[in-house]
Amino acid sequence: MVEIRNLKKRYGERTVLDLPQLTIAQGETVALAGANGSGKTTLLRILAGLIKATAGTVETPEQKLYMPQQAYAFRGDLRRNIQLTRADRAEADRLLQQLGLDHLSEKKATSLSGGELQRLSLCRVLSQDCALLLLDEPTSACDAAGAALVVKAIEAYRAACGCTVVMSTHSPALALHAADRLIVLNGGNVEADGAPEAILANPETQWAKSFTAGWKL
Amino acid sequence: MLFPPDKELLQIIGVTLRMSFFSTVISCLIGLPLGALIGSKSFRGKAFLKKLIHTLMGLPPVVAGLIVYMLFTHYGPFGRLQMLFTVRVMVVAQVLLITPVVIGLSSSFIESASKPVIETARGLGFSGVRTAALCIREGRSSLFSVVLNAFGRSIAEVGAVSIVGGNIQWKTRVMTTAIMLETNKGKFSFALALGIILLLIAFAVNALASFIVKEHADG
Repeated sequence: MVEIRNLKKRYGERTVLDLPQLTIAQGETVALAGANGSGKTTLLRILAGLIKATAGTVETPEQKLYMPQQAYAFRGDLRRNIQLTRADRAEADRLLQQLGLDHLSEKKATSLSGGELQRLSLCRVLSQDCALLLLDEPTSACDAAGAALVVKAIEAYRAACGCTVVMSTHSPALALHAADRLIVLNGGNVEADGAPEAILANPETQWAKSFTAGWKL
Repeated sequence: MLFPPDKELLQIIGVTLRMSFFSTVISCLIGLPLGALIGSKSFRGKAFLKKLIHTLMGLPPVVAGLIVYMLFTHYGPFGRLQMLFTVRVMVVAQVLLITPVVIGLSSSFIESASKPVIETARGLGFSGVRTAALCIREGRSSLFSVVLNAFGRSIAEVGAVSIVGGNIQWKTRVMTTAIMLETNKGKFSFALALGIILLLIAFAVNALASFIVKEHADG
């Protein structure tokens, strides 16, 4: 379970996040949407413990994993990249197959395309158990087929370990197909919070309406 | 003197390489992990520590030599070790000079170029030590240039080694102090020859290092 109270994050005079209260239940999958600079990545990084909030309290499970938006390729082949997490070879191969990268397992990770690298980054994260999985735009570089594999892998992982998943996205498909709940952020505030289908059908605010209108296109 | 090289010249080259090698190795063993930790971690007082390191990076060699001399002189705290005017104390002085350079350069590199490595490693729940080790592994080509810089500074240094080593013939005389001595004696051609050898050694080390980095670049 994730519990946020009176959370504020400021950079100088600029407030980038202002969340009076937010609770995410154990096992829930939440999609964070919003325009660039709305606070999605900042919220994820605070939840991951990578940056500190200016004020407020954040309670998260001890075991958490975070996949940054910019996927990084470590030296070595794909299998070795996954085994950095101390996953065994069989687990690495299973994940590579699940994310459609098994034919590239012995290629250098630095030679991958953006979408492939993003899927490799997800493999690395999913090779470990956690109670809270934080994903920053996990399908932003993927094509439709790659994104479908990502959604399937996240669902399978959540079903296996019962963890909470929070992911930021600009993809309506990801929000609709993988999330139980959609939170739309605007200027660091929650503009809409509810079931993805409901928000898309009837956005609560004008801003959320204009944002989701883009999705409907 | 150069062709064939005489015994004294070979001895000077030997002392120079021994001193530079050990001071570089020790400085890197201390400096690289510290640089990686400072570069990859956020903590209170980091800005002050970085300022201090940057100040020490510019420590004048003669000051370093004087400090080590005071520490190892007969009445100094380490006088009983009787290390003054030995190659070992020259290594100590070099380590004092080079370690801040290694820490400063490696921490700056880790801080800027290794941001994605750190973000990914922390996201995967890796410890600070493991993250630092990964940063070193990922940036080894750049860090190798830090090592080369340390070696270059060590082999070219004259002030500190002259004070603590005493430029003693057959014992603590290195290329730079020999060049200084021969210049003072007016033997410019010999001093120039020593300078050429020094440059050739530096070039050979650089070429070897570049070859090693190239060999492992895609590893």
